[in-house]
Amino acid sequence: MSPLRRVLPHVVVLAVFAVLLWFLPGTIRALFGQASVSYVTLVTNAASLAILALSWDLLARTGQVSLAHAAFFGAGAYSTALLSRFADVPLWLGIPLGGVVAGLIALALGPVTLRLHGIYFAIATLSFTEVLRAVVHQLPSRIAGGAPGLNVPALFRPTFVAGEMERWEVAFIRNEGYFLIYAAVLVFTLLLSIIIQRTRLRYAFTAVRTNQEVAAVMGVNPARTKLLAFVLSSVPVGLLGAVAAHRFGSVNPFETFSIHTTVLALVTPIFGGLYTTVGPLLGATVLAGIEETLRRSLDSGYMIAYGVVLVFAVLFMPRGLVGLLGKLFRRRREAAK
Amino acid sequence: MSLLDVSGLSKQFGGLTAVAGMNFTVTGGEILAIIGPNGAGKTTMLNLLSGLLQPTAGSIRLNGTDLAGKLPDVRCHLGLGRAFQVVQPFPEMTVAENVNVGALFGQPGTTAVEAEALTRDALMTSGLWHLRDTPAEDLTLMQEKRLEIARALATRPLILLLDEVMAGLRPGEAREAIDLVRRIRDTGVTVIFIEHVMPVVKDLADRVIVMDYGRMIAEGSYAEVTANPAVIEAYLGTDEEGEDAL
Amino acid sequence: MDLSLLLQAITSGLLSSGLYALVAIGLALAIGVIGIVNFAHGEFFMIGAFLTYQLAVSLGFDPLLSILVVAPLLFLLGAFLYRTTVHYVLGAPELNQMLLTFGLGIILQNLALLVWGGDPRTVPSIPYRSLSFNIGDVTVGAVMLGSFVISMLLVLGLYWLLYRTPLGRGMRAVAQSRIGASLVGLNVDRTYLVTFAVSAALAGIGGVMIAVIQSPSPTVGLTFTLKAFAIVVLAGLGNIRGIIWASVLVALAESLIANLVPNGDSLRNAVFFSIIFLVLILRGRRPA
Repeated sequence: MSPLRRVLPHVVVLAVFAVLLWFLPGTIRALFGQASVSYVTLVTNAASLAILALSWDLLARTGQVSLAHAAFFGAGAYSTALLSRFADVPLWLGIPLGGVVAGLIALALGPVTLRLHGIYFAIATLSFTEVLRAVVHQLPSRIAGGAPGLNVPALFRPTFVAGEMERWEVAFIRNEGYFLIYAAVLVFTLLLSIIIQRTRLRYAFTAVRTNQEVAAVMGVNPARTKLLAFVLSSVPVGLLGAVAAHRFGSVNPFETFSIHTTVLALVTPIFGGLYTTVGPLLGATVLAGIEETLRRSLDSGYMIAYGVVLVFAVLFMPRGLVGLLGKLFRRRREAAK
Repeated sequence: MSLLDVSGLSKQFGGLTAVAGMNFTVTGGEILAIIGPNGAGKTTMLNLLSGLLQPTAGSIRLNGTDLAGKLPDVRCHLGLGRAFQVVQPFPEMTVAENVNVGALFGQPGTTAVEAEALTRDALMTSGLWHLRDTPAEDLTLMQEKRLEIARALATRPLILLLDEVMAGLRPGEAREAIDLVRRIRDTGVTVIFIEHVMPVVKDLADRVIVMDYGRMIAEGSYAEVTANPAVIEAYLGTDEEGEDAL
Repeated sequence: MDLSLLLQAITSGLLSSGLYALVAIGLALAIGVIGIVNFAHGEFFMIGAFLTYQLAVSLGFDPLLSILVVAPLLFLLGAFLYRTTVHYVLGAPELNQMLLTFGLGIILQNLALLVWGGDPRTVPSIPYRSLSFNIGDVTVGAVMLGSFVISMLLVLGLYWLLYRTPLGRGMRAVAQSRIGASLVGLNVDRTYLVTFAVSAALAGIGGVMIAVIQSPSPTVGLTFTLKAFAIVVLAGLGNIRGIIWASVLVALAESLIANLVPNGDSLRNAVFFSIIFLVLILRGRRPA
């Protein structure tokens, strides 16, 4: 079966999914009225989590466990912040720029860290993130804003027109706008994930992850494969960082490069199920819901949930939610026989 | 022109000399055995050929092309296939998918359709066709070894390097393995194999090279090298295994 | 260059190296003996610091006294965590082990955040905090000197443990060969338990000292995990003896840059991370 035929059905499903996402905000508004403002925020957070998870999973497929996601997120965020500050171009251009910058950084960082495996790679990527944060912090304030950071203009500024809309609809339109951009990035990331899953790249990635030497003598170039994965996984995160910068209105070295991003990025796919497309999506949906609930009751420290989930997943769920569900279905099928 | 030309090949690890001044050629279509006591440098030799190690001196030419500095995946493209002693299948994939990796990447520019055909051929030759959809982690030892060979075959090698394939096999399985190697040679692939089990070497090898302490101490037919006093000395002198080996 | 400034920087660096060595050696133990890179190591350190704070606030304990409480408490915590979680991933791939300890670290850090909030806490009313004396042009803080002395005593004590006691012999045996050690009748699992607990206790004691030296916040853990790791990698994995030299090197580098380079203080952490990064990259480049 040619690769195109293998990819096509999934692309069709993806297109349907994209359409559903397009209509989601409107549906929420119709169902929930004023409460929809926060529901749209919730699904936006879920989408954000899914993008982080899918992209982290992409890299993990080659056996590279990265703790640098926050670096790419921050790079994307600062790219758009600097662009809007110094260049007279449409704001939205900052978003693809964020992706490009992240990809370039990955292109530079990849070859340097290639020979490291396992824990060393993880720690090197973590150190890199901290160094990048320190560099941004140290840049002259006129350029990068130093410790307080920079303000980032909003992408959507809907105006309130009395009589034509309720007050909350202003917030809704704004949230809807951001959600749609997040959704676009999500669809893009899903497309990447599908392409890798359904073409020969899947074989290359899995081979490199399992055993680099065996992969090499079978004709797979481990270095090039790993670098490709590194770059591909960084672009969505850069895009995400850029949108987030506009959405939250500011960047600063501490929050934008926070390890929180990395933690979210790795816990979610592990919980959902690594090396699949559904796993990160599923994990993101569940965890976004849990996080929302927890954030209301606990002020700081709600991240503890992620720690618990991670420990739990490592100990009891080696294949994540996807694995658990698979086992359930298999058992039901056995029972039915 | 010979298919493989090894000249002055040496490998040092700090103070330890693993391989020293190996000189030999391999002609297309022959089955060459490399034997020698434990620690003689046989696997190092294979790793040097595959490109997993870089030599400290000497050269390797495949079809006239110097392999110096060429990475393992490039050497695979040039025609060197390798099966490892300790089989490591890609556990999350089926047998067919494992072989498909070799088929897709063994030679650059292979389309998915071509790869499918190559996979089928490799599975048939190795006798694994009936197991093609089995997860690779569920295989028996003999089946794993067949998989290892099938993976290497799918890369369309000119030369297949085998490392102690017979290790751990029962006599009946060893017989199957011997037949498999012969079948492979009949498809036009040259075979270089390391082996400890002497009856297999006697049965399969057209030519034998004996290594000891990294050097070649004898070369010739099985009968010739086993009658060679230096070879006997090397085996008996090191451990009891020599007695059983010969 | 101002000579007295240089001397001061060197002195500060040397004195800090004690604490770094203490924290690093605990991590080196865990890595060398158990084979697990404990991402939560710095959190033990952090908990030691916050327990010190709490003991001072609630019971008026002097930090020196707190050591006697913190060490056994953290020993128990380490033992508990080992028995309930770490024990189960020892046979698993390295990735799983790393993720487990990473998760434990997140849990511990956020527990601290829940209990104490995110702001730095200063341990109140320590009479000797600002005590210092001068040697020539150089000012030596009593607290820094004290922490150096205590750390070095503990490090030396650990060496004594490793090389002169049956327990330590057991640890070294297990570090060299798990199978060999169990073949001669060593209870490998109990050795792991004790090692993990000891490494937690050592980190905790380090935390007691940092609570006096500066005002820690719950996020200080990860930084110290990485600093400890930098030292361990610099010394060479499994090389426990080299820890002291590596600690001195790293502490000196940090101190020199913080004191002598303009704006150096805020670069402090960046220095550490750059060192880790470079060491890892350069070590990774050794030819096959």
